[in-house]
Amino acid sequence: MTRFQEAICEKLLLSAAWTSGSIVVFIFAFMLFLGLPLLSGGHFFSLLTAHWAPQQGSYGILPMMAGSLFLALLGLLFSFPLSLGCACFISVLGPAKLRFLLRKVVELMTGIPTVIYGFVGLFLLVPLVRDIFGRGGLSLLSASLMLALLIAPTMILFFCDSFDRVPRSYLDAVDAMGGSKVQKLLYVMLPNSVHGIAAGITIALGRAVGDTLLALMLAGNAIHIPHSCLDSARTLTSHIGLVFSADFESLEFKAIFACGITLYLFTAVLVLVVRGINHRLRRPL
Amino acid sequence: MFELIKIKTENLSFSYNGNRILDNVSLEFREKTITAIVGPSGIGKSTFLLTLNRLWETVPQSSMSGRVKIRFDGKMQDIYGNGMSLTGLRRKVGMVFQAPNPLPMSIFKNIAFPLKLAGIKDRRTIDENVERALQQAGLWMEVKDRLNDSGLHLSGGQQQRLCIARALVLQPEVLLLDEPTSSLDDASAAVIEELLVNLKDNCTLIVVSHYFDQVKRIADTVFQFPYNGISQQ
Ligand SMILES: Nc1ncnc2c1ncn2[C@@H]1O[C@H](COP(=O)(O)OP(=O)(O)O)[C@@H](O)[C@H]1O
Ligand SMILES: [Mg+2]
Repeated sequence: MTRFQEAICEKLLLSAAWTSGSIVVFIFAFMLFLGLPLLSGGHFFSLLTAHWAPQQGSYGILPMMAGSLFLALLGLLFSFPLSLGCACFISVLGPAKLRFLLRKVVELMTGIPTVIYGFVGLFLLVPLVRDIFGRGGLSLLSASLMLALLIAPTMILFFCDSFDRVPRSYLDAVDAMGGSKVQKLLYVMLPNSVHGIAAGITIALGRAVGDTLLALMLAGNAIHIPHSCLDSARTLTSHIGLVFSADFESLEFKAIFACGITLYLFTAVLVLVVRGINHRLRRPL
Repeated sequence: MFELIKIKTENLSFSYNGNRILDNVSLEFREKTITAIVGPSGIGKSTFLLTLNRLWETVPQSSMSGRVKIRFDGKMQDIYGNGMSLTGLRRKVGMVFQAPNPLPMSIFKNIAFPLKLAGIKDRRTIDENVERALQQAGLWMEVKDRLNDSGLHLSGGQQQRLCIARALVLQPEVLLLDEPTSSLDDASAAVIEELLVNLKDNCTLIVVSHYFDQVKRIADTVFQFPYNGISQQ
Protein backbone atom coordinates (compact mmCIF):
# COMPACT_ATOMS: atom_id res chain seq x y z
CA MET A 1 0.00 0.00 0.00
CA THR A 2 1.34 3.39 -0.90
CA ARG A 3 1.83 6.22 1.56
CA PHE A 4 -0.99 8.09 -0.06
CA GLN A 5 -3.49 5.24 0.21
CA GLU A 6 -2.51 4.72 3.77
CA ALA A 7 -3.12 8.37 4.59
CA ILE A 8 -6.55 8.22 2.92
CA CYS A 9 -7.48 5.11 4.90
CA GLU A 10 -6.39 6.72 8.10
CA LYS A 11 -8.45 9.83 7.36
CA LEU A 12 -11.50 7.77 6.49
CA LEU A 13 -11.32 5.73 9.65
CA LEU A 14 -10.68 8.81 11.72
CA SER A 15 -13.71 10.56 10.31
CA ALA A 16 -15.84 7.46 10.95
CA ALA A 17 -14.68 7.47 14.56
CA TRP A 18 -15.38 11.18 14.89
CA THR A 19 -18.83 10.82 13.32
CA SER A 20 -19.97 8.07 15.64
CA GLY A 21 -18.45 9.84 18.61
CA SER A 22 -20.10 13.15 17.83
CA ILE A 23 -23.48 11.50 17.16
CA VAL A 24 -23.44 10.21 20.72
CA VAL A 25 -22.68 13.67 22.05
CA PHE A 26 -25.23 15.20 19.72
CA ILE A 27 -28.00 12.91 20.94
CA PHE A 28 -27.24 13.85 24.50
CA ALA A 29 -27.30 17.55 23.62
CA PHE A 30 -30.58 17.06 21.78
CA MET A 31 -32.18 15.42 24.79
CA LEU A 32 -30.91 18.11 27.10
CA PHE A 33 -32.29 20.77 24.79
CA LEU A 34 -35.74 19.23 24.54
CA GLY A 35 -35.84 18.47 28.23
CA LEU A 36 -34.89 22.07 28.95
CA PRO A 37 -38.37 23.31 29.94
CA LEU A 38 -38.27 20.82 32.77
CA LEU A 39 -34.65 21.35 33.62
CA SER A 40 -34.65 25.14 33.57
CA GLY A 41 -37.50 25.23 36.04
CA GLY A 42 -34.84 23.95 38.42
CA HIS A 43 -36.88 20.88 39.17
CA PHE A 44 -34.96 18.20 37.33
CA PHE A 45 -34.09 16.61 40.65
CA SER A 46 -37.59 16.92 42.01
CA LEU A 47 -38.59 15.23 38.76
CA LEU A 48 -36.45 12.28 39.68
CA THR A 49 -38.07 11.91 43.07
CA ALA A 50 -41.69 12.89 42.34
CA HIS A 51 -44.59 10.75 41.18
CA TRP A 52 -46.30 10.79 37.84
CA ALA A 53 -49.62 12.62 38.10
CA PRO A 54 -50.18 14.69 34.95
CA GLN A 55 -53.59 15.92 36.20
CA GLN A 56 -51.85 17.63 39.08
CA GLY A 57 -49.04 18.85 36.85
CA SER A 58 -46.57 16.43 38.37
CA TYR A 59 -44.37 14.65 35.90
CA GLY A 60 -42.03 12.79 38.24
CA ILE A 61 -40.44 9.68 36.83
CA LEU A 62 -39.65 7.95 40.11
CA PRO A 63 -42.01 5.01 39.49
CA MET A 64 -40.37 4.37 36.13
CA MET A 65 -36.91 4.56 37.60
CA ALA A 66 -37.94 2.09 40.26
CA GLY A 67 -39.53 -0.14 37.62
CA SER A 68 -36.39 -0.13 35.46
CA LEU A 69 -34.11 -0.82 38.38
CA PHE A 70 -36.23 -3.58 39.94
CA LEU A 71 -36.80 -5.28 36.62
CA ALA A 72 -33.14 -5.18 35.64
CA LEU A 73 -31.90 -6.38 39.01
CA LEU A 74 -34.49 -9.13 39.22
CA GLY A 75 -33.60 -10.26 35.70
CA LEU A 76 -29.94 -10.28 36.66
CA LEU A 77 -30.70 -12.20 39.83
CA PHE A 78 -32.39 -14.97 37.84
CA SER A 79 -29.91 -14.87 35.01
CA PHE A 80 -26.60 -14.77 36.82
CA PRO A 81 -26.60 -18.20 38.48
CA LEU A 82 -28.03 -19.76 35.34
CA SER A 83 -25.39 -18.13 33.17
CA LEU A 84 -22.50 -18.92 35.47
CA GLY A 85 -23.59 -22.55 35.68
CA CYS A 86 -23.94 -22.74 31.92
CA ALA A 87 -20.55 -21.16 31.36
CA CYS A 88 -18.90 -23.59 33.79
CA PHE A 89 -20.54 -26.49 32.01
CA ILE A 90 -19.52 -25.24 28.57
CA SER A 91 -15.97 -24.36 29.56
CA VAL A 92 -15.03 -27.21 31.84
CA LEU A 93 -17.52 -29.63 33.23
CA GLY A 94 -19.46 -31.02 30.29
CA PRO A 95 -18.45 -33.80 27.91
CA ALA A 96 -16.47 -32.39 24.96
CA LYS A 97 -19.09 -32.83 22.24
CA LEU A 98 -21.95 -31.44 24.30
CA ARG A 99 -19.87 -28.45 25.34
CA PHE A 100 -19.18 -27.59 21.72
CA LEU A 101 -22.83 -28.00 20.76
CA LEU A 102 -24.08 -25.96 23.70
CA ARG A 103 -21.71 -23.14 22.94
CA LYS A 104 -23.02 -22.96 19.37
CA VAL A 105 -26.59 -22.91 20.69
CA VAL A 106 -25.77 -20.05 23.04
CA GLU A 107 -24.10 -18.12 20.23
CA LEU A 108 -27.21 -18.64 18.16
CA MET A 109 -29.41 -17.44 21.02
CA THR A 110 -27.75 -14.02 20.99
CA GLY A 111 -29.26 -13.52 17.55
CA ILE A 112 -32.88 -14.25 18.43
CA PRO A 113 -34.98 -11.06 18.11
CA THR A 114 -36.32 -9.78 21.40
CA VAL A 115 -39.87 -9.85 20.13
CA ILE A 116 -39.72 -13.65 19.97
CA TYR A 117 -38.94 -13.75 23.68
CA GLY A 118 -41.81 -11.31 24.15
CA PHE A 119 -44.25 -13.58 22.35
CA VAL A 120 -43.12 -16.72 24.12
CA GLY A 121 -43.44 -14.85 27.40
CA LEU A 122 -46.89 -13.59 26.57
CA PHE A 123 -48.34 -16.91 25.48
CA LEU A 124 -46.50 -19.34 27.75
CA LEU A 125 -45.11 -17.60 30.78
CA VAL A 126 -47.80 -15.04 31.57
CA PRO A 127 -50.64 -17.61 31.82
CA LEU A 128 -48.38 -19.89 33.85
CA VAL A 129 -47.50 -17.18 36.35
CA ARG A 130 -51.17 -16.27 36.61
CA ASP A 131 -52.10 -19.92 37.23
CA ILE A 132 -49.49 -20.44 39.88
CA PHE A 133 -49.91 -17.23 41.85
CA GLY A 134 -53.51 -16.42 41.06
CA ARG A 135 -52.49 -12.97 39.87
CA GLY A 136 -49.58 -11.11 38.38
CA GLY A 137 -49.63 -12.44 34.85
CA LEU A 138 -48.32 -9.19 33.47
CA SER A 139 -45.82 -8.41 36.16
CA LEU A 140 -42.23 -7.81 37.13
CA LEU A 141 -41.88 -11.55 37.61
CA SER A 142 -42.94 -12.52 34.09
CA ALA A 143 -40.92 -9.74 32.51
CA SER A 144 -37.81 -10.44 34.56
CA LEU A 145 -37.88 -14.16 33.83
CA MET A 146 -37.93 -13.52 30.10
CA LEU A 147 -35.37 -10.79 30.54
CA ALA A 148 -33.15 -13.29 32.34
CA LEU A 149 -33.34 -15.52 29.29
CA LEU A 150 -32.60 -12.60 27.00
CA ILE A 151 -29.45 -11.47 28.78
CA ALA A 152 -28.17 -14.96 29.62
CA PRO A 153 -26.35 -15.64 26.31
CA THR A 154 -24.40 -12.40 26.58
CA MET A 155 -23.30 -13.27 30.08
CA ILE A 156 -22.54 -16.90 29.24
CA LEU A 157 -20.30 -15.96 26.32
CA PHE A 158 -18.59 -13.30 28.40
CA PHE A 159 -17.94 -15.76 31.21
CA CYS A 160 -16.73 -18.43 28.80
CA ASP A 161 -14.33 -15.95 27.25
CA SER A 162 -12.91 -15.03 30.61
CA PHE A 163 -12.50 -18.72 31.49
CA ASP A 164 -10.70 -19.25 28.19
CA ARG A 165 -8.32 -16.44 29.08
CA VAL A 166 -7.06 -18.26 32.16
CA PRO A 167 -3.49 -19.22 31.17
CA ARG A 168 -3.07 -22.77 29.89
CA SER A 169 -0.09 -23.21 32.21
CA TYR A 170 -2.29 -22.83 35.30
CA LEU A 171 -4.64 -25.51 34.06
CA ASP A 172 -1.79 -27.86 33.19
CA ALA A 173 -0.42 -27.34 36.67
CA VAL A 174 -3.70 -28.35 38.29
CA ASP A 175 -4.12 -31.35 35.98
CA ALA A 176 -0.62 -32.53 36.75
CA MET A 177 -1.31 -32.33 40.49
CA GLY A 178 -4.29 -34.60 40.15
CA GLY A 179 -6.94 -31.90 40.55
CA SER A 180 -10.48 -32.71 39.45
CA LYS A 181 -12.44 -30.58 36.98
CA VAL A 182 -14.49 -29.06 39.78
CA GLN A 183 -11.39 -28.21 41.79
CA LYS A 184 -9.80 -26.67 38.73
CA LEU A 185 -12.89 -24.56 38.26
CA LEU A 186 -13.30 -23.49 41.88
CA TYR A 187 -9.70 -22.90 42.85
CA VAL A 188 -8.15 -21.60 39.66
CA MET A 189 -10.58 -20.60 36.94
CA LEU A 190 -13.17 -18.69 38.95
CA PRO A 191 -10.70 -16.69 41.06
CA ASN A 192 -8.81 -15.75 37.90
CA SER A 193 -11.92 -14.68 36.03
CA VAL A 194 -13.39 -12.30 38.59
CA HIS A 195 -12.82 -9.24 36.42
CA GLY A 196 -14.29 -10.91 33.35
CA ILE A 197 -17.32 -12.02 35.33
CA ALA A 198 -17.81 -8.51 36.69
CA ALA A 199 -17.57 -7.08 33.17
CA GLY A 200 -20.13 -9.63 31.92
CA ILE A 201 -22.55 -8.71 34.70
CA THR A 202 -22.19 -5.01 33.95
CA ILE A 203 -22.81 -5.47 30.24
CA ALA A 204 -25.83 -7.65 30.97
CA LEU A 205 -27.17 -5.05 33.40
CA GLY A 206 -26.83 -2.44 30.68
CA ARG A 207 -28.78 -4.65 28.30
CA ALA A 208 -31.42 -5.31 30.93
CA VAL A 209 -31.93 -1.63 31.70
CA GLY A 210 -31.96 -0.71 28.04
CA ASP A 211 -34.39 -3.38 26.91
CA THR A 212 -37.78 -1.97 26.02
CA LEU A 213 -39.83 -4.60 24.33
CA LEU A 214 -40.01 -7.23 27.05
CA ALA A 215 -40.92 -4.66 29.68
CA LEU A 216 -43.53 -3.19 27.38
CA MET A 217 -45.06 -6.55 26.50
CA LEU A 218 -44.83 -8.35 29.83
CA ALA A 219 -44.51 -5.97 32.77
CA GLY A 220 -48.01 -4.50 32.61
CA ASN A 221 -46.93 -0.85 32.45
CA ALA A 222 -48.89 0.40 35.49
CA ILE A 223 -47.42 3.65 36.80
CA HIS A 224 -46.61 3.05 40.44
CA ILE A 225 -43.67 1.91 42.47
CA PRO A 226 -43.92 -1.89 42.56
CA HIS A 227 -43.98 -3.52 45.97
CA SER A 228 -43.81 -7.15 44.96
CA CYS A 229 -42.60 -9.25 42.07
CA LEU A 230 -46.21 -9.87 41.10
CA ASP A 231 -46.93 -6.15 40.74
CA SER A 232 -47.20 -4.56 37.37
CA ALA A 233 -44.52 -1.99 36.61
CA ARG A 234 -43.43 0.49 33.98
CA THR A 235 -39.82 1.06 33.02
CA LEU A 236 -38.15 4.23 31.77
CA THR A 237 -37.85 2.65 28.34
CA SER A 238 -41.48 1.58 28.07
CA HIS A 239 -42.54 4.98 29.37
CA ILE A 240 -40.71 6.64 26.51
CA GLY A 241 -42.39 4.23 24.13
CA LEU A 242 -45.86 4.72 25.58
CA VAL A 243 -45.93 8.50 25.85
CA PHE A 244 -44.50 8.97 22.42
CA SER A 245 -47.79 9.30 20.61
CA ALA A 246 -49.02 12.10 22.86
CA ASP A 247 -49.03 15.83 22.17
CA PHE A 248 -45.54 17.13 21.29
CA GLU A 249 -45.94 20.43 23.12
CA SER A 250 -47.16 19.11 26.42
CA LEU A 251 -44.99 18.97 29.48
CA GLU A 252 -45.98 15.33 29.72
CA PHE A 253 -44.21 14.63 26.46
CA LYS A 254 -41.20 16.63 27.51
CA ALA A 255 -40.84 14.68 30.72
CA ILE A 256 -39.83 11.67 28.69
CA PHE A 257 -36.61 13.49 27.89
CA ALA A 258 -35.87 13.31 31.57
CA CYS A 259 -36.27 9.54 31.20
CA GLY A 260 -33.90 9.61 28.26
CA ILE A 261 -31.30 11.61 30.12
CA THR A 262 -31.52 9.31 33.12
CA LEU A 263 -31.09 6.22 30.93
CA TYR A 264 -28.26 7.87 29.08
CA LEU A 265 -26.39 8.73 32.26
CA PHE A 266 -26.98 5.30 33.73
CA THR A 267 -25.61 3.60 30.63
CA ALA A 268 -22.63 5.95 30.59
CA VAL A 269 -21.84 4.98 34.16
CA LEU A 270 -22.02 1.28 33.26
CA VAL A 271 -19.70 1.82 30.31
CA LEU A 272 -17.22 3.55 32.60
CA VAL A 273 -17.44 0.66 35.03
CA VAL A 274 -16.68 -1.83 32.25
CA ARG A 275 -13.80 0.38 31.13
CA GLY A 276 -12.43 0.36 34.64
CA ILE A 277 -12.72 -3.41 34.83
CA ASN A 278 -11.03 -3.90 31.47
CA HIS A 279 -8.28 -1.57 32.52
CA ARG A 280 -7.61 -3.72 35.56
CA LEU A 281 -7.87 -6.84 33.42
CA ARG A 282 -4.96 -5.72 31.31
CA ARG A 283 -2.80 -4.87 34.28
CA PRO A 284 -0.32 -7.66 35.01
CA LEU A 285 -1.01 -9.56 38.19
CA MET B 1 23.93 -53.96 41.88
CA PHE B 2 20.40 -55.21 41.60
CA GLU B 3 17.82 -52.52 41.08
CA LEU B 4 14.10 -52.78 40.63
CA ILE B 5 12.39 -51.57 37.51
CA LYS B 6 10.04 -48.73 38.42
CA ILE B 7 8.54 -47.85 35.05
CA LYS B 8 8.23 -49.94 31.94
CA THR B 9 6.73 -49.06 28.58
CA GLU B 10 5.76 -51.82 26.17
CA ASN B 11 5.32 -51.12 22.47
CA LEU B 12 4.20 -47.60 23.20
CA SER B 13 3.02 -45.72 20.13
CA PHE B 14 1.48 -42.30 20.03
CA SER B 15 -0.02 -40.04 17.41
CA TYR B 16 -1.50 -36.56 17.14
CA ASN B 17 -4.06 -36.26 14.33
CA GLY B 18 -2.80 -39.50 12.83
CA ASN B 19 0.84 -38.32 12.80
CA ARG B 20 2.86 -40.96 14.54
CA ILE B 21 5.16 -39.33 17.08
CA LEU B 22 6.27 -42.35 19.09
CA ASP B 23 6.67 -45.73 17.44
CA ASN B 24 6.87 -48.90 19.49
CA VAL B 25 8.86 -47.50 22.35
CA SER B 26 9.76 -50.16 24.92
CA LEU B 27 11.88 -48.80 27.72
CA GLU B 28 12.63 -49.56 31.35
CA PHE B 29 13.43 -47.08 34.07
CA ARG B 30 15.18 -48.23 37.25
CA GLU B 31 13.90 -47.23 40.63
CA LYS B 32 15.63 -44.33 42.42
CA THR B 33 17.79 -43.35 39.50
CA ILE B 34 17.86 -40.40 37.16
CA THR B 35 17.15 -41.22 33.56
CA ALA B 36 17.70 -38.55 30.96
CA ILE B 37 15.89 -38.44 27.66
CA VAL B 38 17.74 -36.41 25.07
CA GLY B 39 17.15 -35.60 21.45
CA PRO B 40 16.33 -32.81 19.04
CA SER B 41 13.22 -30.75 19.62
CA GLY B 42 9.93 -31.87 18.14
CA ILE B 43 10.92 -35.52 18.35
CA GLY B 44 8.37 -36.54 20.99
CA LYS B 45 10.22 -36.26 24.30
CA SER B 46 7.52 -34.19 26.00
CA THR B 47 4.85 -36.40 24.54
CA PHE B 48 6.58 -39.45 25.99
CA LEU B 49 6.48 -37.89 29.47
CA LEU B 50 2.78 -37.17 29.06
CA THR B 51 2.09 -40.84 28.47
CA LEU B 52 3.54 -41.61 31.91
CA ASN B 53 1.00 -39.52 33.83
CA ARG B 54 -1.81 -39.64 31.25
CA LEU B 55 -1.74 -35.88 30.83
CA TRP B 56 -2.14 -36.24 27.04
CA GLU B 57 -5.68 -37.53 27.46
CA THR B 58 -7.27 -34.08 27.21
CA VAL B 59 -5.54 -33.33 23.90
CA PRO B 60 -8.14 -33.71 21.17
CA GLN B 61 -7.41 -36.12 18.31
CA SER B 62 -4.57 -37.86 20.09
CA SER B 63 -4.26 -41.60 20.51
CA MET B 64 -1.99 -44.04 22.20
CA SER B 65 -1.40 -47.75 22.00
CA GLY B 66 0.80 -50.06 24.00
CA ARG B 67 1.24 -50.27 27.73
CA VAL B 68 2.76 -48.27 30.53
CA LYS B 69 3.42 -50.04 33.80
CA ILE B 70 4.62 -48.50 37.01
CA ARG B 71 5.56 -50.32 40.19
CA PHE B 72 3.23 -49.15 42.96
CA ASP B 73 2.92 -50.95 46.29
CA GLY B 74 5.41 -53.57 45.20
CA LYS B 75 3.84 -54.68 41.96
CA MET B 76 3.83 -53.52 38.37
CA GLN B 77 0.50 -51.94 37.50
CA ASP B 78 -0.89 -50.86 34.16
CA ILE B 79 -1.56 -47.14 34.61
CA TYR B 80 -4.21 -47.26 31.90
CA GLY B 81 -5.89 -50.22 33.56
CA ASN B 82 -9.35 -50.14 35.06
CA GLY B 83 -8.23 -50.19 38.68
CA MET B 84 -6.06 -47.09 38.31
CA SER B 85 -7.44 -43.80 39.55
CA LEU B 86 -6.27 -40.81 37.56
CA THR B 87 -6.01 -38.58 40.61
CA GLY B 88 -4.11 -41.24 42.52
CA LEU B 89 -1.71 -41.75 39.62
CA ARG B 90 -0.96 -38.06 39.28
CA ARG B 91 -0.31 -37.70 42.97
CA LYS B 92 2.30 -40.45 42.75
CA VAL B 93 3.77 -39.24 39.45
CA GLY B 94 4.64 -35.56 39.77
CA MET B 95 5.48 -33.33 36.86
CA VAL B 96 7.56 -30.20 36.36
CA PHE B 97 7.04 -28.28 33.14
CA GLN B 98 9.47 -26.62 30.81
CA ALA B 99 8.40 -23.09 31.71
CA PRO B 100 7.93 -22.49 35.44
CA ASN B 101 4.18 -22.31 36.08
CA PRO B 102 3.51 -21.13 39.61
CA LEU B 103 -0.12 -20.29 40.27
CA PRO B 104 -1.08 -16.66 40.98
CA MET B 105 -1.06 -17.05 44.76
CA SER B 106 1.40 -16.85 47.62
CA ILE B 107 4.50 -19.04 47.80
CA PHE B 108 3.00 -20.95 50.70
CA LYS B 109 -0.32 -21.50 48.98
CA ASN B 110 1.41 -22.67 45.82
CA ILE B 111 3.16 -25.44 47.70
CA ALA B 112 0.13 -26.25 49.83
CA PHE B 113 -2.12 -26.40 46.77
CA PRO B 114 -1.68 -30.12 45.99
CA LEU B 115 -2.43 -30.87 49.65
CA LYS B 116 -5.60 -28.83 49.38
CA LEU B 117 -6.58 -30.75 46.25
CA ALA B 118 -5.91 -33.99 48.10
CA GLY B 119 -8.30 -32.84 50.83
CA ILE B 120 -5.69 -32.50 53.57
CA LYS B 121 -6.90 -29.91 56.05
CA ASP B 122 -4.77 -30.40 59.13
CA ARG B 123 -2.79 -27.20 59.61
CA ARG B 124 0.27 -28.88 61.13
CA THR B 125 0.52 -31.52 58.42
CA ILE B 126 0.31 -28.81 55.82
CA ASP B 127 2.96 -26.63 57.44
CA GLU B 128 5.34 -29.55 57.88
CA ASN B 129 4.92 -30.79 54.34
CA VAL B 130 5.34 -27.34 52.84
CA GLU B 131 8.55 -26.80 54.76
CA ARG B 132 9.91 -30.23 53.86
CA ALA B 133 9.15 -29.73 50.16
CA LEU B 134 10.79 -26.31 50.15
CA GLN B 135 13.85 -27.77 51.89
CA GLN B 136 14.07 -30.55 49.33
CA ALA B 137 13.84 -28.05 46.51
CA GLY B 138 16.57 -25.94 48.10
CA LEU B 139 14.30 -22.94 48.38
CA TRP B 140 13.51 -22.84 52.08
CA MET B 141 16.33 -20.55 53.16
CA GLU B 142 15.50 -18.07 50.40
CA VAL B 143 11.78 -17.79 51.01
CA LYS B 144 11.09 -18.75 54.60
CA ASP B 145 10.62 -15.11 55.61
CA ARG B 146 8.28 -14.26 52.79
CA LEU B 147 6.01 -17.23 52.36
CA ASN B 148 3.05 -14.90 51.88
CA ASP B 149 4.56 -13.08 48.90
CA SER B 150 3.21 -13.96 45.48
CA GLY B 151 4.92 -16.88 43.80
CA LEU B 152 4.95 -14.86 40.60
CA HIS B 153 7.41 -12.36 42.08
CA LEU B 154 10.23 -14.89 42.39
CA SER B 155 13.07 -15.09 39.87
CA GLY B 156 12.82 -17.66 37.07
CA GLY B 157 15.13 -20.13 38.81
CA GLN B 158 13.27 -19.73 42.10
CA GLN B 159 9.94 -20.18 40.34
CA GLN B 160 11.14 -23.44 38.85
CA ARG B 161 12.31 -24.67 42.25
CA LEU B 162 8.93 -23.60 43.61
CA CYS B 163 7.31 -25.83 41.00
CA ILE B 164 9.65 -28.67 41.96
CA ALA B 165 8.70 -28.18 45.61
CA ARG B 166 5.03 -28.21 44.63
CA ALA B 167 5.53 -31.46 42.77
CA LEU B 168 7.36 -32.93 45.77
CA VAL B 169 4.92 -31.95 48.48
CA LEU B 170 2.80 -35.07 48.00
CA GLN B 171 5.96 -37.20 48.15
CA PRO B 172 5.58 -38.68 44.68
CA GLU B 173 7.32 -41.89 43.74
CA VAL B 174 8.14 -40.65 40.25
CA LEU B 175 9.07 -37.15 39.14
CA LEU B 176 8.90 -36.17 35.48
CA LEU B 177 10.79 -33.05 34.47
CA ASP B 178 10.40 -31.61 30.99
CA GLU B 179 13.47 -29.51 30.14
CA PRO B 180 13.31 -27.97 33.61
CA THR B 181 16.30 -25.69 33.10
CA SER B 182 15.88 -24.62 29.50
CA SER B 183 14.38 -21.24 30.37
CA LEU B 184 16.98 -20.47 33.03
CA ASP B 185 20.48 -18.99 33.16
CA ASP B 186 23.44 -21.34 33.71
CA ALA B 187 23.77 -20.62 37.41
CA SER B 188 20.10 -21.32 38.18
CA ALA B 189 20.27 -24.41 35.98
CA ALA B 190 23.28 -25.73 37.89
CA VAL B 191 21.45 -25.29 41.20
CA ILE B 192 18.52 -27.32 39.92
CA GLU B 193 20.67 -30.09 38.45
CA GLU B 194 22.39 -30.47 41.76
CA LEU B 195 19.18 -30.72 43.71
CA LEU B 196 17.85 -33.38 41.34
CA VAL B 197 20.75 -35.64 42.32
CA ASN B 198 19.71 -35.31 45.95
CA LEU B 199 16.14 -36.29 45.15
CA LYS B 200 17.21 -39.71 43.87
CA ASP B 201 17.04 -41.15 47.38
CA ASN B 202 13.28 -40.76 47.47
CA CYS B 203 12.06 -40.98 43.94
CA THR B 204 12.60 -42.07 40.39
CA LEU B 205 13.40 -39.17 38.13
CA ILE B 206 13.04 -38.80 34.38
CA VAL B 207 14.53 -35.62 32.98
CA VAL B 208 14.01 -34.53 29.41
CA SER B 209 16.76 -32.42 28.02
CA HIS B 210 17.70 -30.94 24.76
CA TYR B 211 21.42 -30.89 25.53
CA PHE B 212 23.36 -34.05 26.01
CA ASP B 213 26.23 -32.52 28.09
CA GLN B 214 23.88 -30.96 30.53
CA VAL B 215 22.39 -34.22 31.71
CA LYS B 216 25.45 -36.44 31.27
CA ARG B 217 26.75 -35.33 34.65
CA ILE B 218 23.63 -36.14 36.62
CA ALA B 219 21.99 -39.01 34.74
CA ASP B 220 22.44 -42.67 35.55
CA THR B 221 20.99 -43.68 32.21
CA VAL B 222 20.51 -41.72 29.01
CA PHE B 223 18.01 -42.57 26.31
CA GLN B 224 18.46 -40.95 22.96
CA PHE B 225 15.35 -40.02 21.00
CA PRO B 226 14.28 -40.69 18.29
CA TYR B 227 14.15 -44.05 19.90
CA ASN B 228 14.92 -46.93 17.59
CA GLY B 229 15.13 -49.80 19.98
CA ILE B 230 18.89 -49.79 20.52
CA SER B 231 20.15 -46.37 21.52
CA GLN B 232 20.93 -46.58 25.14
CA GLN B 233 23.85 -45.81 27.35
N1 LIG C 1 -1.13 -30.91 21.29
C1 LIG C 1 -0.55 -31.26 20.13
N2 LIG C 1 -1.29 -31.41 19.02
C2 LIG C 1 -0.73 -31.75 17.84
N3 LIG C 1 0.57 -31.98 17.67
C3 LIG C 1 1.39 -31.86 18.74
C4 LIG C 1 0.86 -31.50 20.02
N4 LIG C 1 1.88 -31.44 20.89
C5 LIG C 1 3.00 -31.77 20.19
N5 LIG C 1 2.71 -32.02 18.91
C6 LIG C 1 3.67 -32.42 17.86
O1 LIG C 1 4.26 -33.62 18.24
C7 LIG C 1 5.66 -33.60 17.97
C8 LIG C 1 6.43 -33.94 19.22
O2 LIG C 1 6.27 -32.90 20.16
P1 LIG C 1 6.97 -32.90 21.57
O3 LIG C 1 6.66 -34.17 22.26
O4 LIG C 1 6.59 -31.64 22.26
O5 LIG C 1 8.50 -32.88 21.16
P2 LIG C 1 9.76 -32.50 22.03
O6 LIG C 1 9.36 -32.40 23.46
O7 LIG C 1 10.73 -33.62 21.76
O8 LIG C 1 10.30 -31.23 21.51
C9 LIG C 1 5.97 -32.25 17.42
O9 LIG C 1 6.10 -32.37 16.03
C10 LIG C 1 4.79 -31.41 17.76
O10 LIG C 1 4.54 -30.49 16.73
MG1 LIG D 1 9.27 -30.64 24.63
